[in-house]
Amino acid sequence: VTPVWALAALWLGLALVATLLAIWLRVSTALSEIIVGIVAQVAIGAALGQGALGAKAPWITFLSGTGAIVLTFLAGAELDPRVFRTQLKAAGALGVAAFVVPFLGCTALAYWGLHWPARSAWLCGIALSTTSVAVVYAVMLELGLNKTDYGKMLLAACFINDLGTVLALGIAFAPFTWRTAVFGIGSITVLAVLPWATPRFFKKYGGRVSELEAKYLLLLLFGLGALATWADSEAVLPAYVIGMVLAGTVGKDHTLVRRLRTLTFGLLTPFYFIRAGSFVSVSALIAAPLVLLVLLGAKMAAKIVAVVPTSRALGYARKETLYSTMLMSTGLTFGTISALFGLSHGIIDDKKYSYLVGTVILSAIIPTVIGNAFFLPRHLLPKHEPEPAEGASEPGAQPQGALAKEAT
Amino acid sequence: MKRILVAFDGSEGSQRAYDFALELARKFGADVLVLAVVRLPEPTTSLELDSILDLGTEQYNKDFEALLARASGVNVRTDTEVGHPAEKIVARAEHEHADLIVMGRRGRSAIGRWMLGSVSERVLRYAHCPVTVVK
Repeated sequence: VTPVWALAALWLGLALVATLLAIWLRVSTALSEIIVGIVAQVAIGAALGQGALGAKAPWITFLSGTGAIVLTFLAGAELDPRVFRTQLKAAGALGVAAFVVPFLGCTALAYWGLHWPARSAWLCGIALSTTSVAVVYAVMLELGLNKTDYGKMLLAACFINDLGTVLALGIAFAPFTWRTAVFGIGSITVLAVLPWATPRFFKKYGGRVSELEAKYLLLLLFGLGALATWADSEAVLPAYVIGMVLAGTVGKDHTLVRRLRTLTFGLLTPFYFIRAGSFVSVSALIAAPLVLLVLLGAKMAAKIVAVVPTSRALGYARKETLYSTMLMSTGLTFGTISALFGLSHGIIDDKKYSYLVGTVILSAIIPTVIGNAFFLPRHLLPKHEPEPAEGASEPGAQPQGALAKEAT
Repeated sequence: MKRILVAFDGSEGSQRAYDFALELARKFGADVLVLAVVRLPEPTTSLELDSILDLGTEQYNKDFEALLARASGVNVRTDTEVGHPAEKIVARAEHEHADLIVMGRRGRSAIGRWMLGSVSERVLRYAHCPVTVVK
């Protein structure tokens, strides 16, 4: 047992370092954990030998997999079903375009441009087709657009984009045998019953210290996850869809979601993201850095090709269209989930995995560094009509520096 | 001077900035708006986003209660926004027609300033009104 505790201490030590780095650098903990995983694998591998980090130990694989499943469930549960229904037409068009074009475009580039095998190329397309609901929502909040029709539509489009990604991940590599049919029928049956049964079950037995709700949800996620993997599909597919169908009930239970978040953030996701980082081959990235730039360029170009015309066709202004494109080009969580799925199922090798995760990280880091270090986005400031105020000068009328700006 | 905006982040520096603003407000009969900005990590994930919004709002609400308790004689309003602190402070100061922005200084390292930028320096550069940075 001692080696298990020692390994657990090592991983949680890495998680703590990643959290501190995230606090100091104001980057997301997930991104920090991936990078700490990359560095730790190199450093600990050099000091203690390959495999010393134990990333392939069954219990670490279990915690990591659970992290991915719960994370995906919580992402699906963020959906606002009412908004989803009202914005379905526009969001559907934008979400489908934002998924399909990068999916096919990046697949084509990987297959014909980088000469990857067909299955690897499909996986590349899936991993780079993602978007990030959280990034979009954060910017919507900052701009106060989260309550506008445009903001709601864009968020709903992101859910559809990510649904496309998880569906593709669950379906593209499935062998389509009788097991696939059992998985499909079983999932549809459970998903049809859940929105009706879950609130009633929680109402009757929930709200106790025994955390019945958490056990119930984990049972569902593990059960359908087992069915998915038995059918050679992917466990995050049912997790995301369960999250979406329960968004109107469980998703609104703030206390329950918060408890799940604590469990996920505190224990599960560090294992998931550090493990995802630990499989990145730094030597592969150094050997062919151009591949990263090509993949990153392909992802962003494909998003532009998809989002700009669709958004313009839906009647949105040029400025909003450019925001949509910029915002829908990220996707840290589903990008790494897709790449790790490919690696663990032998669809891609460690080099291709490294390129994909590297591209996902770059797409997250580059705008952040540019934004923080060089650029205060003045053009994003809300434009307020000047209001008459006694004794106050008009904004902008006062020459800069006319009154001393004191720094005491 | 009629309106003072205090940029508040819960740090000791911003507490001192608030006290300084109260003193000024009492002398000039000004109103005070305390603005806290919840800054999200970049790129954020949905898990982190919701946690930070919940915890940030809760923490600032507690802090605001303590601030209001020592505001005797001064009309103090409080508010929380989400986004880049410098951008939000500058925009809100313009919107409120603030006559002065008062803020604390956190004293980041040179690397920290390069990576994250100094909020006080950016507010100094872009604000429409005088800015006082309290050390």
